[in-house]
Amino acid sequence: MIVVIVNTVLIVSGISGLLALLLVIADMLFANYGECKININGKKELNLKGGSSLLTLLNESGIYLASACGGRGSCGFCKCKITQGGGPLLPTEKPFLNKTEINNQIRLSCQVKVKEDISIEIPEDIFNIRKFKARVTDIKDLTYDIKELTLQLIKPDSIDFKPGQYIQLEAPPYEKSKQPVSRAYSISNAPFEKDFIQLIIRLVPDGLCTTYVFEYLQVNDIVNVTGPFGDFYIRDTQADMLFIAGGSGKAPIKSMLEYLVKNKSRRKMVYMFGAQTKKDLYYTALLEKYEKELLDFTYVPVLSKPTQECEWEGKCGYIPPYFPEYIKDPKNTEAYLCGSPGMIAAVIKGLKENGVPEDKIYYDSFA
Amino acid sequence: MKETPHEIKIHNNLKAGVISIDGFLGDDSRHYHEIIVEDRNELLKLNTTTEELADRMNYFTEISFEHYEGSVLIDDHYEVEYRSYRGKILCPFFHPGLFRKGEIFLYNKKNDIRICWTPLNIHMIREHCFLEGKGSKHRLEPKELYRSLFE
Amino acid sequence: MEINAFIIFIAAIFTSNILLTNFLGMCSFLSVSREVESSLGLGLAVFFVMTFTTAINFVVYHFILVPLNIIYLQYIIFIIVIAAFVQLTEMIIERFSPVLYYTLGIFLPLITVNCAILGVSLFLVIRDYNFLQSVLYGAGSGIGWFIAILALAGIRQKVKYNYVPAGLQGAGLSLIITGIMALAFIGFSGIVVIQ
Repeated sequence: MIVVIVNTVLIVSGISGLLALLLVIADMLFANYGECKININGKKELNLKGGSSLLTLLNESGIYLASACGGRGSCGFCKCKITQGGGPLLPTEKPFLNKTEINNQIRLSCQVKVKEDISIEIPEDIFNIRKFKARVTDIKDLTYDIKELTLQLIKPDSIDFKPGQYIQLEAPPYEKSKQPVSRAYSISNAPFEKDFIQLIIRLVPDGLCTTYVFEYLQVNDIVNVTGPFGDFYIRDTQADMLFIAGGSGKAPIKSMLEYLVKNKSRRKMVYMFGAQTKKDLYYTALLEKYEKELLDFTYVPVLSKPTQECEWEGKCGYIPPYFPEYIKDPKNTEAYLCGSPGMIAAVIKGLKENGVPEDKIYYDSFA
Repeated sequence: MKETPHEIKIHNNLKAGVISIDGFLGDDSRHYHEIIVEDRNELLKLNTTTEELADRMNYFTEISFEHYEGSVLIDDHYEVEYRSYRGKILCPFFHPGLFRKGEIFLYNKKNDIRICWTPLNIHMIREHCFLEGKGSKHRLEPKELYRSLFE
Repeated sequence: MEINAFIIFIAAIFTSNILLTNFLGMCSFLSVSREVESSLGLGLAVFFVMTFTTAINFVVYHFILVPLNIIYLQYIIFIIVIAAFVQLTEMIIERFSPVLYYTLGIFLPLITVNCAILGVSLFLVIRDYNFLQSVLYGAGSGIGWFIAILALAGIRQKVKYNYVPAGLQGAGLSLIITGIMALAFIGFSGIVVIQ
């Protein structure tokens, strides 16, 4: 009897062991892709261990392609051109790409596994994007649902950005969120002091990242930020400038204005800010100060729902009806818009009706 | 019951703290497939389709979107307000693309029903017949939704 | 038993369909038959794995288990062999054909413990098939399973848009449909008979 049991155990473990060994060997043969070269724009070459997604490998080497879903293959942001060695187009990528993109060898970098040497092409700007460790030095309430966050950059300790650009703030996993999430917020200070950045963040109901900022983040906490991103920044011309913002959309415009004040810009500027009631207004004192410092700058808050207790004597209603009053030379006006998609759509329509050329309208819709 | 790898991923997306802070299932213990099947039955009873609901919701959404601040009165007795928030949200069923974050509040003055939906709700109703689990913040009860939109 | 191997193949698809007459592999049959697309992937994966594992298990049985006189271990050994084979296939597919991996590969882990696959290996022992018969029996059963799940998925996609009484929703109705399909398949039994 004992012999039978011992025999059985031996045979079963023998066969299992053999198969396990076979699988280990197969794993070494098939799942090991060895060193792979990633050639970027024909200039830079990275030597990395293959087997992971292109997005992950690039991130690990300090090259940050935009991604909103964290590599789940559902946002379609991390597109990049792969000229050689990306393997066939996968069914998971197809829904995100149109015909021209497919013909241009555009792929989703989170879906492409690096299995051999590959060559990719990405815009040069991306090399300027870095991941920073930063300490929270101040959290200030601007209104009941908007906070201003000041971050001291630790490593690397300085950032190069254009006024109007945004960064991505990473919220680590916390009580209500299972994985780290990154969200984009505009930088609200001017790019003179390179060692800190300020963000203006409005609470998003149920938002994973803003809830973290509003309820969990403390002064002196360390956070990760990536940036700068975006092509919403001041064009260096002599045209008149019209800034239009709503809600927390003040951030990039504040950065732009600060920059213009420091540079003693002589351009004609108007800033129209749309809000519902008086309690939604903020930075009023600062903007009045700018009105004195700048040669030709007007701040025009417009309230859509002023209540009795607001004692509001300023402009009421929507912004577009006031355009004729403030746009003096439409052909020579640049418009910088930031706010909700609904507002931006309405404002663009209004600007065009007033003769502002479409290619001079720049905007940052709540991306 | 066994789930395909794809279903496991969807199920995970619907949980709290993955795509939205409270998730899409609320305190509903049913599998999301069951929720969909039962709601589809409800819609059949009401003699309506997901297309019809989604189109109607879209109609109100688009008009209120243009009146981005404050509420607007549509077709005499629907008071609708669109509140937009920064950012975009993913479809938990892995549909490509991102949906605007926002809430549309509709008050039907005729039958005194108030409901609220998000742009993502419209997509999930149209494509997946998913009205979220009971107890979820943006759960839409088929009957109430139908009455508020069409009466 | 000397039955023409080709007859076994046909019989395995229609008259003794592993799913509709033996009711094996029900779990994944019921849960993955919601959409035609995924049932297609799973069906292909089952067909592929069934064909190869019957061949391997035939060899394992006749050249390892019988000589060593450990036939009583066949259940355990067969399962281990199937699991290892599935793992190995997944690795190979992922390496060499990413496109195939997304259509078929992702279903492989689901069928490691599919009882239809173990069932086929056990039947070939019970029925004392030779190698060719075994392989064709495995392939036939795989195709049979594939047809059955595809048919159910097609019907369920239609059912989705109709009113279903509360108690019958989901698995309830699927089992009734499966039962009716099994009855329909009995209609084939005049063609060939094995066992």
